[in-house]
Amino acid sequence: MHSKQAAIERRQRFDQQVGVYHQDMYRYAAWLSRDKSIAEDVVQEALLRAWKSLDALRDNASAKQWLLTIVRRENARYFERKRLETVDIDNLTASQAALLAEQPDEELDDMRQAIYELEDDYREPLVLQVLMGYSTNEIAEQMGLKQGAVLTRLHRARAKLKDQMARL
Amino acid sequence: MNCEDYREAIATDPSFDGGVGHLSECAACQSYRREMQALEEKINRALALDVPELHVPELPELSTPKPDNVIALPNRRWQSRTWFAMAATVVVAALLGVRLIGTGIEHESLADEILAHLDGEPFALRVTDIAITDERLNAVVPADIARMDHSAGLITYAQTCPIGGHDVPHLVIQGERGPVTILLMPDEYVAEPQRLRGDNVKGVILPVGNGSIAIIGEREERLDRIRESVLKSVAWST
Repeated sequence: MHSKQAAIERRQRFDQQVGVYHQDMYRYAAWLSRDKSIAEDVVQEALLRAWKSLDALRDNASAKQWLLTIVRRENARYFERKRLETVDIDNLTASQAALLAEQPDEELDDMRQAIYELEDDYREPLVLQVLMGYSTNEIAEQMGLKQGAVLTRLHRARAKLKDQMARL
Repeated sequence: MNCEDYREAIATDPSFDGGVGHLSECAACQSYRREMQALEEKINRALALDVPELHVPELPELSTPKPDNVIALPNRRWQSRTWFAMAATVVVAALLGVRLIGTGIEHESLADEILAHLDGEPFALRVTDIAITDERLNAVVPADIARMDHSAGLITYAQTCPIGGHDVPHLVIQGERGPVTILLMPDEYVAEPQRLRGDNVKGVILPVGNGSIAIIGEREERLDRIRESVLKSVAWST
């Protein structure tokens, strides 16, 4: 009886955290992989892994960072397994192109494509800062970088986007 | 603060609200700030992709270990006969492919359990140059388990974690290629070194006295050097 109650509470805790952070998990996965289908697969794997190791999450206040770290690892695993090659912007699969699906707002389209074309090293810290609200220190921890490197990448990411948008 | 400093700060984080004095006197930086904030608003909108409906995958049921199946390991100061019995039990359990830990998940080997554990503690693997305190190290590696000093390297994480049904010290030191995990397992006997290989990591479980020490790092890490320094820095208390 006691263990049944514990299992219910465990599931409730899982559902609660996933419910809050699912959107962040998906968007992070999508911008890491630049592919909607892969992002969905990565999130599914991440959810399974999170479920199995939920006991390692000692404090719910850390749940977002914990889940995003799992997504990052699952994405790395996915690409290591598949050994996917660099995406050529002119030769996208349907699923990759879906990420850039046309929006009524042309400016939004252009910006989305400019972000898509950013190198991984620049795109990821930008996503973590703008979408996830991470501080530069938190980004450094997540990406295993020194804070100075994060500042440089963020600066260059915005400079590249600014140049790209100015050219259009 | 001059124009260059201000622009660098605002390009790194457009919500930067410092440099008010400079900003109030510099029309060019005011204009640059507006420009960067407009760019930020566009980036924000572009990044906010539509998210498909959440489909939680089928989650495996995590069984609670039954008391009968849990290997009872009482106090640490065993006689040699007890050790032989323990070792035999561990071997039998390994042959049966049954290992139970606190969460009820079964692992086929000690190596599998260790890799699964590392996946569950991503926070441990952060790159930092801040060492844990002696008090923290002594709390996680109590004197009745082992003695350990800081000579193994820069220890940046220490936590007591369940492995093989025991609470063991889980430490992280900073290697040349990134964080390196050290698990001190005085109760996990292995007859010979066992290699570990995960998706992005490699490592070894070393037999040390009647227990073992696991060392896991990035694939490119020079673990042989770390192994030497770790073995010099640790001594079992029993």
